[in-house]
Amino acid sequence: MSDKTVQPGWRQSMAWAHGWLGLIAGWILFTMFLTGTSAYFRPEITRWMQPEIHAEAASPAQAADSATRYLSRVGPDDLQWYIYLPDARTVATRIFRIPAKPDPRIRGNELDLDPVSGAPLNARDTRGGEHFYRFHFQLQLPHPWGRWLAGLCAMAMLGAIISGVITHKRIFADFFTLRWNKGQRSWLDAHNVSAVLGLPYHAMITYTGLITLVTMYMPWPVLTNYASPAQFMQTAYGTPADVPASGVRRPLVAIAPLVRDAERRLGGPATRVIVQNPGDAAARVTIAQGKRGAINSRTPTATYDGATGRLLSRSGDAAVAIDTAGVMLGLHLAGFAGPALRWAYFVMGLTGAAMVGTGLLLWTAKRRKPGAAPFFGLKLAERLNIAVIAAFPAGMAAYLLANRLIPATLEGRADMEVSAMFWTWGLLAIAQLGLPTRRAWTVLFGVAAVFWGAIPLVNALTTSRWLVPSLLDGDQLFVAFDLSCLAIGIGFAVAARISARPAARTPTRTRRSLEPFHA
Amino acid sequence: MAWRWITAILGGYGFAVAAAMLTARLLPAPDATARVEATGWPMILSFLLYTGVGLWSLHEVRLGRVNAVIWGGALAMAVALKLLGVRA
Repeated sequence: MSDKTVQPGWRQSMAWAHGWLGLIAGWILFTMFLTGTSAYFRPEITRWMQPEIHAEAASPAQAADSATRYLSRVGPDDLQWYIYLPDARTVATRIFRIPAKPDPRIRGNELDLDPVSGAPLNARDTRGGEHFYRFHFQLQLPHPWGRWLAGLCAMAMLGAIISGVITHKRIFADFFTLRWNKGQRSWLDAHNVSAVLGLPYHAMITYTGLITLVTMYMPWPVLTNYASPAQFMQTAYGTPADVPASGVRRPLVAIAPLVRDAERRLGGPATRVIVQNPGDAAARVTIAQGKRGAINSRTPTATYDGATGRLLSRSGDAAVAIDTAGVMLGLHLAGFAGPALRWAYFVMGLTGAAMVGTGLLLWTAKRRKPGAAPFFGLKLAERLNIAVIAAFPAGMAAYLLANRLIPATLEGRADMEVSAMFWTWGLLAIAQLGLPTRRAWTVLFGVAAVFWGAIPLVNALTTSRWLVPSLLDGDQLFVAFDLSCLAIGIGFAVAARISARPAARTPTRTRRSLEPFHA
Repeated sequence: MAWRWITAILGGYGFAVAAAMLTARLLPAPDATARVEATGWPMILSFLLYTGVGLWSLHEVRLGRVNAVIWGGALAMAVALKLLGVRA
C-alpha cells in the first residue's frame, strides 16, 4: 500500500490492517486474555493459594469492628486505613495502612485479618489471584508504562475487531463452518468461529477494558471544563473533600454501628471502610456498599464524622455518563455475576484467547510456502507464537506450583512465586529454539500439560485439602480448582497430540526435509 | 509506511484527544450535572473516534490527505481550544 497505488476498497485495506494490528498486539493480547480470564476467579485463586486459612464467616459490621480494634493498636497515628470487608467470595478482612511516617523496612502495609478475632492471619505470603489480575493490565512493567502498553494493545484489539468485521463477508455462515485438518483453511475457520461466536463479548470486553482506565487514557476533557481534576471528581463522584487532621486527639467511635447504619441507608452489605485521620478530632469514616446483583460497579458511599459518629454526607445520584462508565466497568470486572454467569464469562474469555491464538497461527500458516525456506520474519513470528501460546500457560502453572512447593514460611516467597512464572516462561521460550518448530509445539504443549496436570497432584502431596477430602467436605472451591487444572492439563495434552500428527494435505515430509536444521 | 502507522497511532490519539476536549468544551453545561455529562461522554466515546480515524489513516492511500486531516485537524482543534480557554 504505497502512495502511488490505486486506492483499495475498505475490505481490502482493512484485511491488511487487521493482519498487522493482530500480529503486533496479538502476543501481548493473548497473555492479557489468559490472565484476565483467570481474574474472574481472583478471590478464589487467592483462597486456593492460602490453604491454611479456614476463617469463620463474619458479618461486615463484625469484621469492620475487629479490624479497627487491630488497627487502633498498631497504627493509631496513621493517615488512613483501608478495610476491605469479607463477602461471600472472600474469607479474610484485608487491611491497608497509610502510616504518617512510612517505615522503609516494611514493604507494603497490606495484611489479611481474621474477620472474627481481628488477628493477623497466619498464612503463607502470596500475591494470589491478584498477580494474574495485575499482570492483565500492567504487564509486570513499571508504572505507568505497563498500563499504557496494555491500553495500546486494547486499542489495537478494538481496531482489529472493527477491521475484522469489515473484512468479513459472511458472518452468519461462519457460525457453522469449521473444516478440520485443512491447514491454513482450518485455522481461518477456527479464527472465524471463535471470533464470530464471541463477537459481542470481545467487543464489550475490549471497550469496557479501555473504560476501566479512562481517567488515565483520556482525562483531557476534564482539563477543559474544570480548574482541577479534583473538582471534577468531587462533582462527578460525590467524593468528600479531604479534611486535614486537627491535631486534637479524640478516640474513634465504635465502627460496627456506623457500618450497620450505612448498610441500612445504602441498602446492602458494606464492602469497604476508609478511615481518615483515625484518633483525631477530624476523623472521617467512609463506608461503601457493594450492590450484589447490580452491574454498576460504582459503589454508593456514606461518610461519617469519626469522632462523633454523625452522618456527614452520602453519595447522591450520579450523572448518566458516570453511571454509564460505572456499568461498563462493572461489565468488565463481572463482580455482579453469580457462579453460572462467572463461568460463562470464563469460557468467553477463553474464546478470546482462542481467537487471538488462532489469528496468530493463521498469520504464519498463510505465509508458510511448502518447499520454501521460511524468511526471517516468519521464523520469528512462529517462535514467538510458541513462546506465547504454549510457554506462557506453562509459566502460569509454574506460579501455582511454586505456591505449593516453596516452603510456606520462607522469607520473600511471594516474590519467588512470581519469579517462578517468569523464569519458567522465559526459559521455555528460549529452550524451544533448540527444536524444530513442529517439535517445539509438541514438546511445549507437553510441558504445559504436565505442569497443569501436576497441580492437583502437588496439592495432594503438600496439603491436606486435595481432591478427595475436598469432595468429602463439600469444599466446592478446592474441588473446582483441582478439576479445572486437570481439565486444562488434558487440553494441553490433546494439543500436544494433535501437533505431533503430520498435518493433512500439506506435504509435511518434503517441507520438513527441506527445512534448515535449526528452524 | 512507518509514518502512516505513527500518524494512525499517535496522530489518531492526538486527534481523538483534541476532538473529545473540544466537544466537552462546546457542549452546553447550564448546571453542575450537565457539565459532568459534557465531560464524561466525550471521554467514554473518544475511543470509538480514535479507532475510526486510526483505521481510516491506514485505509486512505493519499498520505498527504491523511496528514492534513489527522495532524491538521488536531492542530486546528487545539488552536480552537486555546482560544476558548478553560470553561469558567
